[in-house]
Amino acid sequence: MSNLVYEAVNWNKPTSELAQIFWDQQWKQIWFPEEIAVSKDIKQWQSFEHQETYKKVFAGLTLLDTVQTNIGMNQIATYATDLQEKAVFTVFGAFEAIHAKSYSYIFTTLCTNSEIDELFEWVKKNEYLQYKASKISDIYNSIEEGNAESLWKAMFSSVMLESFLFYSGFFYPLYLGGQGILRNSAEVISLILRDESIHGVAVGFFAQNLFKQFSTEKQDELKVWGYELLLDLYHNEMAYTDDVYAETGLSPEVKSYVRYNANKALMNVGFDPMFPEEEVNPIVMNGIRNEGSTYDFFSQKGSTYAKAKVAPITDDTFNFGERK
Amino acid sequence: MKTYLKLNNDVLNRYSSTGQLELEKDREATRRYFLEYVNVRLRYFIDVEEKIRYLVDEGYYEKEFIELYDMDFIKKLYKKAYDYNFRFPSFMSASKFYDSYALKSRDGEEILEKYEDRIVIIALYLAQGDKSLAERAVEAMMEAYQPATPTALNSGKRARGELVSCFKLSMDDSMNSIAENIGYCLELSRLGGGVGVNLTDLRPLGDPIKGILNRASGVIPVAKLLENAFSYSNQLGQRNGSGVVYLNIFHGDIENFISSKKPNADDKIRLATLSTGIIIPSIFFELMKRDKDIVLFSPYDIYREYGKRMSEISISEMYYELLDNPNIRKIKRLNARRLYTEVKKAQFESGYPFEIFDDNVNDVHPLKNIGRVKMSNLCTEILQVQETSVITDQGEPNEYGLDVSCNLGSIDIHAASKADDFGQLVDTAMRLLTNVSQMTYIQNVPSIAKANQIMHSVGLGAMNLHGHLVTQGILYGSKDSIDFMDCFMEAMNYYSLKTSMEIAKERGETFHRFEESEYASGAYFKQYVEKEEKELSPVVLNALGKVPVITKQMWQNLKEEVMKHGLFHSYRLAIAPTGSISYIRSCTASIAPCTERVEVRDYADSRTIYPMPHLNNDNAHLYVEAYDVNAYDLIDLYAAAQKHVDQGISMTLYVTDAWTTEQLAKIYIYAWSRGIKSVYYVRQRLQTLEECVACQI
Ligand SMILES: [Fe+2]
Ligand SMILES: [Fe+2]
Repeated sequence: MSNLVYEAVNWNKPTSELAQIFWDQQWKQIWFPEEIAVSKDIKQWQSFEHQETYKKVFAGLTLLDTVQTNIGMNQIATYATDLQEKAVFTVFGAFEAIHAKSYSYIFTTLCTNSEIDELFEWVKKNEYLQYKASKISDIYNSIEEGNAESLWKAMFSSVMLESFLFYSGFFYPLYLGGQGILRNSAEVISLILRDESIHGVAVGFFAQNLFKQFSTEKQDELKVWGYELLLDLYHNEMAYTDDVYAETGLSPEVKSYVRYNANKALMNVGFDPMFPEEEVNPIVMNGIRNEGSTYDFFSQKGSTYAKAKVAPITDDTFNFGERK
Repeated sequence: MKTYLKLNNDVLNRYSSTGQLELEKDREATRRYFLEYVNVRLRYFIDVEEKIRYLVDEGYYEKEFIELYDMDFIKKLYKKAYDYNFRFPSFMSASKFYDSYALKSRDGEEILEKYEDRIVIIALYLAQGDKSLAERAVEAMMEAYQPATPTALNSGKRARGELVSCFKLSMDDSMNSIAENIGYCLELSRLGGGVGVNLTDLRPLGDPIKGILNRASGVIPVAKLLENAFSYSNQLGQRNGSGVVYLNIFHGDIENFISSKKPNADDKIRLATLSTGIIIPSIFFELMKRDKDIVLFSPYDIYREYGKRMSEISISEMYYELLDNPNIRKIKRLNARRLYTEVKKAQFESGYPFEIFDDNVNDVHPLKNIGRVKMSNLCTEILQVQETSVITDQGEPNEYGLDVSCNLGSIDIHAASKADDFGQLVDTAMRLLTNVSQMTYIQNVPSIAKANQIMHSVGLGAMNLHGHLVTQGILYGSKDSIDFMDCFMEAMNYYSLKTSMEIAKERGETFHRFEESEYASGAYFKQYVEKEEKELSPVVLNALGKVPVITKQMWQNLKEEVMKHGLFHSYRLAIAPTGSISYIRSCTASIAPCTERVEVRDYADSRTIYPMPHLNNDNAHLYVEAYDVNAYDLIDLYAAAQKHVDQGISMTLYVTDAWTTEQLAKIYIYAWSRGIKSVYYVRQRLQTLEECVACQI
């Protein structure tokens, strides 16, 4: 038996700023792909022109969510020191698993088995996809116990993945969904996106707290490292975009969306944006704002219902004296 | 990429990022939509005559109603409609009309009708050869009257669905009745209807069958059968069949029923697509106030003991009698507060169940001597008496009772305040609704066909309240807004009664058993002939515009006429939620507050951005969004309207996830205490992460 002392997570007093808030928000947003009637897209899918691009976009996203489940959130949870934060990362990881699985749900609904097999083969062969997956995974796998710098680098990479690299893929379903094409698959994406935006903000926030502890010289050094990593990933992303969106004519628009999100990713970790502001397709921008979108009474589930906060009915419940 | 969609989306995108409304973008989107989409698909006709001839010959229009008029008259009517120089005020209104309402060629490629054409055809079709009514119908519809979707969509078309789409059925505690009603549900959803079914009279889980205990399966399996029946006819996947089931809160199966909509409910009880509603008698609230337990009953016992179905008795009146009667089993005792907390939890998690406040409905029910209102429809605004059919074995005759079909229409409040003659507007609307009711014959559901023939019920409602208030500088929920609503609905009530009386006089026919109603006895008019005539502020008077303020004397006169001549309609008013139909007219929905100043609407076809009518950069503060309107003020406003509405009003409550179940319970209890008859959905806005973190990071 070792002499390690095991400490239990104590949620009764906050040990980490905002951990509770991120936890609550994530659980409030719980969803499962089966709640969305993707089968309603089948009819449009059969005559959809750019099936190849669409499938590849989703296959690419599957890989990123797989990395994020198996390595990203796992590693960060392992090496994060605060017990409440660890718990939050573990919960995030569970949602990553839901994301990764949800693409399969869409594939199963729209594609044949052989098409699906081909896609997963394509993932293994696509150099740009493999490049970003291995680049990020290497950083995740290099975290060392007690080395705050290595943990910060992993968190930085995680934010790059979630707030930036996903968006070359998210673009397409949002763009189409906003025009009424394959809307239910787009709904799945908007739910994933809603999670990713918490992850980006949360991991970015924890990364910023860590960053503050470093000396100014160290901070400068890490900044250079961070921007270099971002640029490296950015060039790869541009090539990936050209590759996947070939023949759709959408590459330029996807690229501006990617730059827009790269800036947001930088802001999440407390860095200055690096790309100049530019116009992003408004349909895609509106695709994200699904929170308030008007509940469709005939759809099976609105994305707007969540867990109740229970408080008992008391005598005072019947007193309307000071109601306003 | 369609440029008009991009322009339309840009309105929201800019508004969200800068807070400035760029309405010219929406106008440009509308212009582009016509250039790029509508005009290129619009079939060109030399003149009206050729248009009519073509559409009749090609089998798009029914020929019979056209032949009731001469061509000169028809031409005159088209001219009348086109002389209004109608322009779609928003991209939403134009795209909604051309996507969903305009007649298109069978292959969907050509557009065969413009807005005015549709209006004229509805008028000709519903007026049934009455030229003067047809003319008045065009005026009313071009100005301020909107028939409900099934009527607006289907009128005059040869391949058409029904003109009505709202039905209520009562199920009896027998296998025959269950099977028969499932058949009706299949039939009615095939016709595109939304159906409400009352389950209160079915014996609960574990009840005896033929005297042997623990045999009955209860209401949930029946609800599941209904759910399957509705989704079977899903209109080619266009939408899920829509149905709602109602259950009394004192029914033995109530706990499972309440949980059935929760997303994490056990699969055995989970209702995925079927809506649910509970009937709550006042005694429940009283017991809850005193923190008592409630006792659940079985309709099986009640029927054996009293010869009446559970839905046929007032639980509030009979509660202690049922408790004292040893032959009535006390199925279960539950703490009322805890049970109601469960209801609130379910509502947070799913929006369901709806609630109907049984005694608020029946205490003021003008037909209370004829029977009880036992349930509502899919949108909780239809509240009419029903009589359960007795379905017998094969080969024996069934005894058909009364069920409900209802056709709806709405008055645009803003336009109505400017119409020259409000009384005539309501009169035209009522006559068009009356004709729809007469033209409807649901052959395969005899209880509905029978009720339709003898009860002549309609449901006239209103929309664009919030839009109108904004133009008048009145804040939604303020005292002025409540006074306005009060006067406006009183006028609607007055004129709809007047028309109903006049039709009864013209035809020498009243609705079935009018003599037993509170209209006939005059009791109904007590609240009006004895009312206190209150001082109205200039703002309210201005907002009413040309809508008359009804005096005591006017009521006194009308009372005498109604008592003398009777009424043609058993029910007249009901305020529906008005979804897409209000968008075509660029109205805000129903009498509800807007949910977003710039609304995002996802339709099957596309995502459309809809800035609220009359919204501009200067009046945005008046468009308080529903989630920011004080819930108690909202209820007060609905209560003011409800006094004048013989049926119900579809009322949605808006909360955020910061609310607790107790706060939610409190506003429902408040609604009940204010005489509200029903609560439709609870809609919840999730705070976004930005909202909850922004203030902290
Ligand atoms: Fe993910
Ligand atoms: Fe994530």
